Amino acid sequence: MSAETYDAIVVGSGISGGWAAKELTEHGLRTIVLEAGRPIDPVIDYVQQVRPYELRYRGMRDRRRTERYQPIQGHTGACDEWSSKFFVNDLDNPYSFPEDKPFYWIRGRQVGGRSIMWGRCVYRWSDLDFEANAKEGFGVDWPIRYRDLAPWWSHVEKFVGIQGRRENLPHLPDGEFQPPWELNAAEQKARDIVLKKFGGERLITNARLAVLTQDHNGRSKCHLCGHCARGCMTFSYFSSINATLPAARQTGRLTLRPFSVVHSVIYDPAKRRATGVRVIDANTKQMFDVNARVVFLCASAMESTRILLNSATSEFPNGLGNSSGELGHNLMDHIMGGGASATLPWAQDRREIGNRPDAIYVPRFRNVKTKQPDFLRGYGFEGRAWRPDWGRGSEMPGFGASFKKSLIGDLGPWTMELYGFGEMLPRHENHIELDPHLVDAWGIPALRVNCVYSDNEKKMLDDMVVSATEMFEAMGATDIKPIKDNNPPGLVIHETGTARMGRDPKTSVLNSHNQMWDAPNVFMTDGACMPSTANQNPSITYMALTARAVDYAYRLLNRREL
Amino acid sequence: MRRREVVQFLGGALALSFIPRNVESAIKLGEGLHLRLGDVPFRTLNRDQQALVTNIAEMIIPETDTPGATSVKVPEFIDLILTEWAHDDERAAFMAGLHDIDVRAAALGSPRFVDLPAAKKTELLLALDPARADKTGAGLAFARLKGLTVYGYFTSKPVEQEVLKVRIFFNGYQGNVPFTPAV
Repeated sequence: MSAETYDAIVVGSGISGGWAAKELTEHGLRTIVLEAGRPIDPVIDYVQQVRPYELRYRGMRDRRRTERYQPIQGHTGACDEWSSKFFVNDLDNPYSFPEDKPFYWIRGRQVGGRSIMWGRCVYRWSDLDFEANAKEGFGVDWPIRYRDLAPWWSHVEKFVGIQGRRENLPHLPDGEFQPPWELNAAEQKARDIVLKKFGGERLITNARLAVLTQDHNGRSKCHLCGHCARGCMTFSYFSSINATLPAARQTGRLTLRPFSVVHSVIYDPAKRRATGVRVIDANTKQMFDVNARVVFLCASAMESTRILLNSATSEFPNGLGNSSGELGHNLMDHIMGGGASATLPWAQDRREIGNRPDAIYVPRFRNVKTKQPDFLRGYGFEGRAWRPDWGRGSEMPGFGASFKKSLIGDLGPWTMELYGFGEMLPRHENHIELDPHLVDAWGIPALRVNCVYSDNEKKMLDDMVVSATEMFEAMGATDIKPIKDNNPPGLVIHETGTARMGRDPKTSVLNSHNQMWDAPNVFMTDGACMPSTANQNPSITYMALTARAVDYAYRLLNRREL
Repeated sequence: MRRREVVQFLGGALALSFIPRNVESAIKLGEGLHLRLGDVPFRTLNRDQQALVTNIAEMIIPETDTPGATSVKVPEFIDLILTEWAHDDERAAFMAGLHDIDVRAAALGSPRFVDLPAAKKTELLLALDPARADKTGAGLAFARLKGLTVYGYFTSKPVEQEVLKVRIFFNGYQGNVPFTPAV
């Protein structure tokens, strides 16, 4: 077993790992990124321009293949006939859950990780979010506040390139935005009505997206094909492959090693430091070690935690970094699936040209200015208004020449959907552990997930239906249809919280700089670190926390404190 | 792949060294991976069922000044879905529904739908169209036929390129463009 030595190891090459690689290498550190999956070649792998007629099932999925090899991944819509290759094979990557507690763990194992097919929604938090745990007595208090992270959000936003509309909302702070796309005619009128009828408490604004509306750092502005999850040949949306890994490569200090499944972190009890990681070559299944002065775990919340649970020592029999007993606990996702759709009775003489990747957002309005009696925290709505075009044909009455002519020459009425995404409270009993009876294709113990939504989330889901319906009624919309999908946790693909930050090593795994209390040269900057989830999409916060943690680690390294 | 659009869009704007410099290689994005689909023979529908499916698909989307369902091979697409995509119970329910359509045709004077006079065919489909929510029988079969016909037609290459003239690249988003239906 030979050991290569670097200044820094980054485990995982997704959103967080890409940022760790960029920041570490730009600080002058020789860095190896260990990625469990295969390399991605945009020229070959990005399939945004492949048309339905070039696919065997025209985009209806290879259903039998999905059912056989991706029965879990297939639950997410993005795992389609174009992009299923970006999601894991569930047979090689098993995990378990109790029969009555399903958890859909959606994973991408390749260079770029899930940053290839992420939703690209990016929202800052406010102190309403950072202070909620302490005020309400759930979980532990965040060890940081908005002022600590604001400059780091700015730092990453400037590099990422984000289209968004400034709204001056205290609870959803503005960031560094490129000019937003306009709302379409139907959305603009909906915005005007909602602003007026809800006294400013509810707002329809642009979804804030990590997609370019102007050329930026050598990446081209979005060409509005509308198919981001298939990759992007103009690199217009942010991903590790499109932005951070190339930046890291340009320093000349990056080593990217695909097919490198990290088995565990190697801990030296004498030095009380990690010395590196143990790796299994995914192809040869040979095990080898990589050493470094600092280790960044960025493999995703549950994968990074799994590595630590699999890194038990005599000193840490329940997993490295687990002296608090909290490693693996407080697993959260968001809750999604409540809302409504409706037909809008205006703008029938207007259409849109171009396919925006996402459209509108209704920021949280529950428990902001007024107290909601039924639940804590809040939710936002994602949505859009669109004209269904020929897609309405299977439901539209009729057949024959006039039916055909209508599908070709008309677009159908404007339809709008509001779909809620709410905060999930941290609870100790929602946890992951190593399954003693299950290993993956590389012989590494697999996870067992125990996670359910509480009544707080379920009541929030109910309220999403109520409030979306209220807004459509206020608009004078017709054909209002409530939506209530009872999805199991995991499917929002925002899993977080299994190695939380905190102020006290007795109740948390990481300190305020994402540094492990028990092994100070180990940092975790993916979703594992989160003491709470807020209701906003989390990735931009992982990016900011990563950049901040690298800066801190670099200063410690310079002072020889690591 | 709309080559001219790709070339126009890429222009000289991209500065990243890892993006292919050769536009032709950029155009090949993804092209190497997906399957080349030739004509696929019917494997599930027998000759009578082919005739029935083809007849109804063409009635749903007939040839006018633009292609109809048959000429863009919608029946072949439906057979492919039945053969490789549908679950056994779904396929069986569809086949039973096709049979039920012929049973209903018999009540109108012919044991086979395809042999009915045009007016009777239209009469039968007009009766089935509101029954698309049925869980079994002719209503279910017609619902599946209609859904797959619309989908197969509008995702076919000739219709995408020559009828819808689908664009892939846009220089900017416009959300408030005047529109007059052409119906």
